Amino acid sequence: MVFKRKKKSSFEGGGLLLFEKVEEAIKAEKVLKGENYTVKLVAPPPTLRKGCDLAVEINLVEQMGIERLFRQKDEAYLEVVPLKGGGELLEIVKVTNFKDATMVKAGNMKVTFDKNTGIILNASGGGCPDIPYLHAQLIDKSLTEAPRPKEIGFTLCALMMDRAFEECLELWGKGGD
Amino acid sequence: MTMLLSGTVPIKDLPLTLGEARFEGELLKLNDFKIPCTQGTAALISAALATTDYLKIDPPKVLIVGDNGEGMGSRLLYEYLIKNIPDFSLDVLVLHYCLPDMALMRKLCESVERCSKNPIMIADASSMYAAKAAGLAAKFDIFTPDATEIAFLADPDATHPAYISRHLFETDVTRTPELVDAAYQLKSAAKLLLVKGATDYVVKDGQIIDTITEPNIPELEAIGGTGDTITGLVAVFAYAELELHEAAIIAARSNRMAGKFAQATPSTKVWQIISQFPAVFKEYLCEWSGICYVAPNRSMSLP
Repeated sequence: MVFKRKKKSSFEGGGLLLFEKVEEAIKAEKVLKGENYTVKLVAPPPTLRKGCDLAVEINLVEQMGIERLFRQKDEAYLEVVPLKGGGELLEIVKVTNFKDATMVKAGNMKVTFDKNTGIILNASGGGCPDIPYLHAQLIDKSLTEAPRPKEIGFTLCALMMDRAFEECLELWGKGGD
Repeated sequence: MTMLLSGTVPIKDLPLTLGEARFEGELLKLNDFKIPCTQGTAALISAALATTDYLKIDPPKVLIVGDNGEGMGSRLLYEYLIKNIPDFSLDVLVLHYCLPDMALMRKLCESVERCSKNPIMIADASSMYAAKAAGLAAKFDIFTPDATEIAFLADPDATHPAYISRHLFETDVTRTPELVDAAYQLKSAAKLLLVKGATDYVVKDGQIIDTITEPNIPELEAIGGTGDTITGLVAVFAYAELELHEAAIIAARSNRMAGKFAQATPSTKVWQIISQFPAVFKEYLCEWSGICYVAPNRSMSLP
């Protein structure tokens, strides 16, 4: 055979964890595998390289849970970057006013609260498995007492929900609109 | 077994379970499990059950597993489908909430290709994200994206809506047709799209063939699960052998009208919307579809 087709990798994560030192990357892979994350050690492409020439490929959707785990375990890393695209998380939000409620949209997630009471009325959008769980944890709770999605969620959908939640808190602090 | 709805539910210890569920108001019951009918796969299944029950056709089989976001349940779900799907004789396969995994979605699509007949493939939520990110969108028959998700499909690089380009996120909803064009150019769209929003767009092979704007119930956008119900509706109407674009149009109309019947507010719960479907069907299904008699087999028939 002259041409050998390159076999598709059995893992396509879409995101990279970058490190200052090679030993940090090796340790991170071990930590993540120990927590049942599917990851692999890779050489980052030159355009994304920062720090050392070893990175850990992760399922980008799991970015938030992984970063929280690293904070809890005090594991060193530089940053998480997507393998494709500009690498910027959406930060902007859109606000919709209903008669007695305000809906904040961040990325694919929306959180709606009562303007008069600060109670979370609904959460919608998204598609990751922690979103129905977060929905159940947030609904009918006060914005000031509800758990933050970034503390109990795991995925990028949860991260967007937290961005919307944060804006809701800010609007509620200013009077609701 | 001919229609399978699959996805995760937010009950961490719920094992991978295949069976028939029952929609009972605020709860979805499957074997001994009681699952709150809230946003997600539970809303999809409940809407589908309300529809099959009204049409007096076979209820869907459901394949669900507990997963609160850590991904173990999602991987079990993928692996079960990859192994077993060729042995199922499916007419409709719906893939819904689960941790998106490009490699496992690729294996699942390869497994579907080994089926003796091609099921109608429908993906929503993160299954749609995985299909797009893995470059497999064109293998699907129906996607049901919302305004942000069509921007995601139109972004050549994003593997999740959190990473779409800012200019696409900020695109005014009146420019949805441009995003639809871009998604098809990139081969990031299913054969049929039902784009949900203030205006619902039904798009077949890149061409917008219908729009639905009435009744206009803006509060539906705030209610968690009202996109999931549309996917459940379109799946059942496709299963009942309506043309896919007809299934999408009637699903969109039904969901809006159920919002009107429920007098939806931003605090309405999705089960209250689903509970209105029988009344909506009774009043409008014949008018909308021209189908006024339900035959005892699973097909809807003309009178």
